[in-house]
Amino acid sequence: MHNTLASRAPSVALRDDELARIAQRLGREPTVVELHAFDAQWSEHCSYKSSRRHLKALPPSGPNVVLGPGEDAGILHLGTHDGERYGIVVAHESHNHPSQVVPFEGAATGIGGIVRDVLCMGAEVIAVADPLRFGRTEEPGSHQRYVAQSVVDGIGAYGNAIGVPNLAGDVYFDRGFDDNCLVNVVALGIVKESDVISSRAPKGAEGWELVLVGKATDPSGFGGASFSSLTLDAGDAEANKGAVQVPDPFLKNVLMRASYRVFALLREMEIVAAFKDLGAGGIMGCSAEITSSGGYGADVDLDRVNVAVEGMPPQVIAVGETQERLLWALPPEIVPEVLRIYNDEFTLGEVARNARATSIGVVTAERRYVMRHQGSVVMDVESEFLTGTIHDELPYIEIIHHEGTVRQLPAVDVETLLPQVLAHRDVCSREPLYRRYDAVVRGRTVLARGAADAGVLAPIPGSRLGVALAVAGNPRHARIDPAYAAKRAVLEAMQRVVAVGARPIGLTDCLNFGNPRKPEQYGEFVAAVDGLAHAASGFDLPFVSGNVSLYNESAAGAAVPGSAIVACIGAIEDLSRVVTPGLKAPGSLLLWIGSRELVSGGSVLGELLGVEGALPSISYGAERAAVAIVREAIARGVVRSCRAIGDGGMLTALARLAFDAMVRGRAIGAQIDVGNPLCEAAGFVCEVSDDSEIDLTGALRIGETTAATELIVNGVRFDIAQLHETWSRPLAELYP
Amino acid sequence: MTKRIGVPVFPGTNSEDETVRLLNDCGGDAELVHWSQAQRLAGYDAYVLSGGFAYEDRIRAGAIAAHDRMMDFVIEGAARGKLVLGICNGAQILLEAGLVPGTGGVRKPTAAFTRNAPEPHFVCRHVYMKLAMDPSRCAITRALEPGALVPAWAANAEGRLAADDAHLREIVAGEHLAFVYAAADGSVDDAAVPNGSALRCAGLVNRTGNVLAIMPHPERDGWNFNHLDRSAGTDVLEPSGGAVLFRSFVAAVSS
Repeated sequence: MHNTLASRAPSVALRDDELARIAQRLGREPTVVELHAFDAQWSEHCSYKSSRRHLKALPPSGPNVVLGPGEDAGILHLGTHDGERYGIVVAHESHNHPSQVVPFEGAATGIGGIVRDVLCMGAEVIAVADPLRFGRTEEPGSHQRYVAQSVVDGIGAYGNAIGVPNLAGDVYFDRGFDDNCLVNVVALGIVKESDVISSRAPKGAEGWELVLVGKATDPSGFGGASFSSLTLDAGDAEANKGAVQVPDPFLKNVLMRASYRVFALLREMEIVAAFKDLGAGGIMGCSAEITSSGGYGADVDLDRVNVAVEGMPPQVIAVGETQERLLWALPPEIVPEVLRIYNDEFTLGEVARNARATSIGVVTAERRYVMRHQGSVVMDVESEFLTGTIHDELPYIEIIHHEGTVRQLPAVDVETLLPQVLAHRDVCSREPLYRRYDAVVRGRTVLARGAADAGVLAPIPGSRLGVALAVAGNPRHARIDPAYAAKRAVLEAMQRVVAVGARPIGLTDCLNFGNPRKPEQYGEFVAAVDGLAHAASGFDLPFVSGNVSLYNESAAGAAVPGSAIVACIGAIEDLSRVVTPGLKAPGSLLLWIGSRELVSGGSVLGELLGVEGALPSISYGAERAAVAIVREAIARGVVRSCRAIGDGGMLTALARLAFDAMVRGRAIGAQIDVGNPLCEAAGFVCEVSDDSEIDLTGALRIGETTAATELIVNGVRFDIAQLHETWSRPLAELYP
Repeated sequence: MTKRIGVPVFPGTNSEDETVRLLNDCGGDAELVHWSQAQRLAGYDAYVLSGGFAYEDRIRAGAIAAHDRMMDFVIEGAARGKLVLGICNGAQILLEAGLVPGTGGVRKPTAAFTRNAPEPHFVCRHVYMKLAMDPSRCAITRALEPGALVPAWAANAEGRLAADDAHLREIVAGEHLAFVYAAADGSVDDAAVPNGSALRCAGLVNRTGNVLAIMPHPERDGWNFNHLDRSAGTDVLEPSGGAVLFRSFVAAVSS
């Protein structure tokens, strides 16, 4: 053993008690490589050491679950086509810290990473979605503005090039994200359930080869896992940049296609293999987990790794987080053909300098994780000690939300407020942002981003099955009550999927919170997980994957509004039943379905009026009933158009149905009489041809559609084109 | 014998599968030809160059791919009268290869689809391409109606036709302007142009009418499920919309 380390390296985030535990178990001081290996593997980013015990509360199973949490992505059953069962692979990640420091690259590598999580399940990657939270961007030249613009450019540059459509997403601008943006990303894949590839070396894998595929390992992304588990200090921005990886979508495009070819080869040969994304912890983390999870060890020779520059220290090769790499565990007899596909047929080495597929080690029966470098053993530890569950029971303060005074707002000045609500940054059109993303590449898009509450795809060529995707997570709610915000995120994501005619089948989440070592901030996390668990059980939906991003805290100690961001996946049996955008015909009835509570807490309206107050209540029984009404009405074929109610309330949802009709050349307006239509209790607004067959308990007829291009609300007339102009413009200033 | 359509895949191509699928759903016999098997391209009767970012759009979109070995076969085939359709990145490659408008000779481009204006960003937007020439001017458009509107998606950062004045005049005088951008009602104005393209150009044809380069993607609006709001009551899996151009292409290849 060489390279023994006596003192602690400055870039290592392990605590003294953790270092002591390692030395005790090894019976010696760890080597430099081992130190960095444990640092990565035991970071919160990899180990979920503090969050795991809380996450157990999220329901992981249910009739739609093909694969629950535990691997790189979860899988939900979509439906059957041509006698084959198909699953939707779902992954959700954050790239918050890198995006705050180097926004273009940080956001781009976020897409790159999530795509590999889906790919390595043996799936074809079919969609991404981006929930974004930015600070106040109004000030020219501010870092917040630069972040908000560059993140969007980075997402576009990467996603557009690899050819994966951007199907859904949202964006909020809030002072709480001035120092820490949130860049979450969801990706979906499609796979035959019989063709799923595991990230665990299967039975009989002893002696299999570990084949590293992709970009040449370089010094970028060294220390990325522990960087994600540190609080950002503006002064360290330059130093932190080294921890951010360099994206290469061009190589990824080819890697994806080459991997699809390998999937076909394995199916043809009926060979079971294991495939895993290299993320946090690099070669070490990936090879340790792919082997250890199957009950094996590994023997990896760092000299066989294709590197970008000679002379890199072994710890950088071992745990550096160079992008665009994956690892196969393969039976030796198939290795030459797999290498041929990547290196000769798809010419990886011509696509990126020194990129290739190369065998770097073997799966061993002894459960030890061994790494060699220049003839010496530089790491030799028990696999399970390295990758096993570690716990960090952190104290937290239980957040008990005290309901504000329930303040009813039965009537407001709609004439003044509706244009203000529509122009609000959380309500106005997102088109200036998302038109920079390719929404339609691969030709399977049914409802593109922004066309409706959820994006819809036809994932299987030749099949009528559809998949819907929507995201939610409102920081105005989070600021008041993180548990409520989490519940509401589940509810809204689910309702958005329902509004396009899909059946919700499952959820995924990303928990973006502050410093877990501050009991107050950690308490928000614990409360939000509880909220998610409650809502998922309340609506009978599983969480099949998810991610935790902690330490979203500025150097001054301010944490982001605790943000549980949720995505909901919906299944569509027959695409011809999708509810298409915009009002369809004059003379339709308009229904408001949902609780219609006239409270302003957490709403855009409340913010504009400067009134605080209670949040709208969530009753699972009532919300389930509202969903049931909408789904039944859609099934009966009487729903002409529909939107879920969120930011800006029912009237915003109705206005958007009118806008969608207008931009499609249909001159249709609406006349409604209601109390306050700008409160934000969850629910739906539906245009129906006939409501005689619908159980109207929980629904209110509020008016009808007209042949005039105006909205008439409680007698106040609005020109739809003018409202559309008001709604369309604000973000063009930020995204010209 | 059925005529075969080759769809070359360059490193960075990303729209190859839907292009092949729509050609085949429209009655064609199309398949992918991978860059490591370039010589196979000689055996095809027609070519469709699909969208993407071939060679990462290095230098200019299409500039490197135009010099790829696969293009030797396409250039040779075009000279012998084979039909060639380039879509988006495929169109950019055809211009860089000098095939379209073709006024400067092989690999001597006289015009380019280049950086969008006034904003230099990627734009993803639904558009209509309006046939701006007699349908019979180009073999590929022969089955279209005069003034036909083809729905499609513009999705590019470099889709703006640019050339110097003399070459733009040549494009007009030589009847190379194949498609212009239009609104859904067929009216042609600047608001319908997503990228500041000269002549409001969405597509160009070569002198002999066998090579067509279009920037928008008809194949992304090529089935009823891509535009349910325009196709209520029909089979969602039927080709429609942008498929009209693919049908015309397949008909021309087969004749």
